[in-house]
Amino acid sequence: MTWSDLTTAAPVVLAVLVAAAIIVVDIAVPGRRKLATGVALVGMAIVAAATILLGLSGRHETAFGGAYTLDGLTTFLDLLFVAIAVLTILFATDYLEPRGLPMAEFAAVLVFAITGAMLVAGSADLLLLFVALELMVLPGYLLAGFARNDPYSTEGAIKYFLLGSFSSAILLFGLAYVWGTTGSTRISDVSAALAVVASSHSIQPGLAMGLAFMTTGVAFKMAAVPFHYWTPDAYQGSPTPVTAYLSVGPKIGAFAIALRLFVGALGPLKADWLPVVIVLAIATMTLGNLVAITQDNVKRMLAYSSIAHTGYILVGLAAFAGGTKGLETQAIQSVLFYGAAYTFMNMGAFAVIAALQRRPGVSSQISTFAGLGRRDPWLGALMALFLLSLTGIPPLAGFWAKAYVIVAAVQAGGWVTLLAVVAMLNAAAAAFYYLRVVVYMYMREPEGQPVVSSPGALFRIGLATTGIVTLVFGLFPAFVTLASNAASALGS
Amino acid sequence: MSLFGLPILALITFLPIVGAALVAILPSDRPDWIRRAALGTALVVWVLSLLLLAAFASGQAGFQYKEAFDWIPSFGIQYKVGVDGLSVLMVVLTTTLTWISILASGPIHDRLKGYMVTFLILEVGMIGVFVALDLFLFYIFWEIVLVPMYLIIGIWGGSNRIYATMKFVLYTLVGSLLMLVAILATAFAYQAAHGGSWVGAFDYEKLQQFAQAGSFGNNFQLVAFVALFLAFAIKVPMFPFHTWLPDAHTEAPTAGSVILAGVLLKLGAYGLIRFAVPLYPYAAHTFAGPIIVLSIIAIVYGAVVSVVQPDLKRLVAYSSVSHMGFVTLGIFVFSAPALQGAILQMVNHGLITGGLFLLVGVIYERTHDRTIAKMGGLAATMPLWSTAFGFFILASIGLPGLSGFVGEFLVFVGSFMVAPVVSVAAIAVMVLAATYLLWMFQRVAFGAVSDFLRGLGDHLTDMTGVEAVTVAPLGIAIVVLGLFPSLALDLLSGPVRGFLVAAGVPVG
Repeated sequence: MTWSDLTTAAPVVLAVLVAAAIIVVDIAVPGRRKLATGVALVGMAIVAAATILLGLSGRHETAFGGAYTLDGLTTFLDLLFVAIAVLTILFATDYLEPRGLPMAEFAAVLVFAITGAMLVAGSADLLLLFVALELMVLPGYLLAGFARNDPYSTEGAIKYFLLGSFSSAILLFGLAYVWGTTGSTRISDVSAALAVVASSHSIQPGLAMGLAFMTTGVAFKMAAVPFHYWTPDAYQGSPTPVTAYLSVGPKIGAFAIALRLFVGALGPLKADWLPVVIVLAIATMTLGNLVAITQDNVKRMLAYSSIAHTGYILVGLAAFAGGTKGLETQAIQSVLFYGAAYTFMNMGAFAVIAALQRRPGVSSQISTFAGLGRRDPWLGALMALFLLSLTGIPPLAGFWAKAYVIVAAVQAGGWVTLLAVVAMLNAAAAAFYYLRVVVYMYMREPEGQPVVSSPGALFRIGLATTGIVTLVFGLFPAFVTLASNAASALGS
Repeated sequence: MSLFGLPILALITFLPIVGAALVAILPSDRPDWIRRAALGTALVVWVLSLLLLAAFASGQAGFQYKEAFDWIPSFGIQYKVGVDGLSVLMVVLTTTLTWISILASGPIHDRLKGYMVTFLILEVGMIGVFVALDLFLFYIFWEIVLVPMYLIIGIWGGSNRIYATMKFVLYTLVGSLLMLVAILATAFAYQAAHGGSWVGAFDYEKLQQFAQAGSFGNNFQLVAFVALFLAFAIKVPMFPFHTWLPDAHTEAPTAGSVILAGVLLKLGAYGLIRFAVPLYPYAAHTFAGPIIVLSIIAIVYGAVVSVVQPDLKRLVAYSSVSHMGFVTLGIFVFSAPALQGAILQMVNHGLITGGLFLLVGVIYERTHDRTIAKMGGLAATMPLWSTAFGFFILASIGLPGLSGFVGEFLVFVGSFMVAPVVSVAAIAVMVLAATYLLWMFQRVAFGAVSDFLRGLGDHLTDMTGVEAVTVAPLGIAIVVLGLFPSLALDLLSGPVRGFLVAAGVPVG
């Protein structure tokens, strides 16, 4: 390990230090919520600054003997993960305190998870990828069960843990096959070896099994149908700010794995995994949306909707696999852009639920939202904004995200173009359940006792950020350029 | 190009947003300020659009007052707007109906501020659709229209409003999302043919030249046309995609119905004329036969169903299906008079049906009922209203001298040249239209005053000055266009010729 290794991986190193600092401060002066929040936020700001500086310096190199890579993709994803961490902390402030849940532990565990996600983004080695994945998901199990005394939280956490561990094992099993076939765990070496395999038009049974196991493992992590069963329970049971995190952090992390593993290492075999991705995408979009329509609990509804969004992102991945050489970068760009847009609008939607649940005991049933537009015009308007964006109404972020994915899919031609049509029909069906919440907020009178929600300053900052980003994300081409620069890191 | 050194189209399109922001910061407890600010904005936009109409050079081909800048260069997406005679007519129709609707929103008291903000945003979307010359931009404006109308029906509508508004949104979304795929596929076809360069791939003028040269493959055209056609046909609405319309119209507040009938239905017809046919002429000709049949079915079906409607608004709504059938018929017979008639019919339908909805709104405001069977003898109690209602009904029937006649007549002439049978079938429906409209008028206005109305006593006052002001401009326009149709037809000579050339029809 050299100094150069450490600076190349500076964001990850700093993130670990931040997590450690939160713990140390909490031990030194226990129970100071604001202090813990402050340390976490300042720490993440430093991580963000380091990431940006590294990105601007244009350094593209590997570290730790080639296991870690710093490129545009790493920078883009790191920034996204930092944003996720900051937003989660902002949304947690108002939620944890009334329930007597500790802030410092929450922040420390969260930052560890984010460290794992950042490490996933920079993985250039399959082993590191797996270790980083585990670092990302293990704290996630803790967070899901963070409300120790809430049986739903515990149930969700256990389901999440069992299925998560199971899928990690399956993924590892698949990686072992790839290692056995190619003799290396370095992504570049694997890719080169598989290029030879792909040109010979014959895939050994071992490699095929490896491919199957890895697909299954990653599909579990990103909650693609039929590997999604853990999602609704884990999302509904978790404390709402944790749900906000789980719905984006590990999901974007899973797509980071997909980009490094399937696009990077297994790219030469893309013709072989394309059919699987097409089937997964259709099943994920359709089932996620259809089941979401029947939900009366908004958290659970958004859980299914997040499954559907996984499907839309998978369409982008299919466009990569189905497209010609020149389109690969564009397809990856659409995946990245979608991930970023989804992050902000989805976290925003969960944050509104968290704001309503500031007082313990408020359910996330759809009836809670009745008359919200009248009771709290700002909160109602923001929720409407997030829901319309999730629906894909222009000029909001969600629309641009869908548009870029569809552009890529249409260009890829063949079956992938059909996927674009399926995605759009799904988007129309999804409008039903998103707009149903709008119906409750604006077109029905409040039921029962009004829910008082007057979030604190930090919470408001978080909500305003997600709202503004959702509003302007697509209007400025700069964000597209950012995603496209990141995507070109993978374009061969 | 600009008018008086001002980017006139940008002003017309985005001034309502400024007005909406202004309304939003006004205090909620001053409804009079809110109403005045909204109305003032709409009037300023209206005046600007009239200036545009006056300054528009009608003899020229192509688009005028173009504004363009690169928006998302990596995909060749531009902010590009411009107007030809067709767009100008539609923009003026929109701005006129918008201020009239805002003035007619007196009965709205609940959440007035949100209502006015929503209405002004709706105006942005509608104008944007008519001026956009970039397909992506067009799509964005197209969808922006959707949300405000969803809210207007859903929040300020009648008792069954939630069902109606969800139906409206879902129908429209299915069509428009498929349209998005078709637009992207079209742009991609252009891009692929230009060596992978996205420059101009969404530019309507470039795409049209490209289509003119026959560069879109036939199979591609068939698929893209169907997707685009579906979106527009749902909006028009053509039979059998019309079922959202009666519900939406019936549940919407008066102003919502006026805009829905007056402008939103025109978006679909405009899309067919501007995009679907000129970009995919081969497919348009291939499908013209079935579309004409559907149009005839819509004309007949709308009229027949109107006869039995017990509700005033529902009757007017179904008559819209019938009237819009003339529009789609006029578009797809591909002849100059028929298209002129179709476009005139679009304007007329906006004026006439807008007026009818306003007048039904006047009655509803006083009686809180729209059942035809409960009415009777209104001519005695509300003479001014009955006169106005009678006037608009005659215009709707197509009385010569009023604008409705000119539009339908031109469609008959144009379609007779191409398909006499079709024309005869359509003319037969004119008789039916006279039947159901006059019969309805007779039941509502003549005879003895019904017990229901007598029970209302002094509440049943005649139209107020404000209510008269809302319908008077429409009435004047109907008479003027009826007597001097050339005012509109001159504007349309360029667009009509362009359409026929694009559709591959020989023009003299």
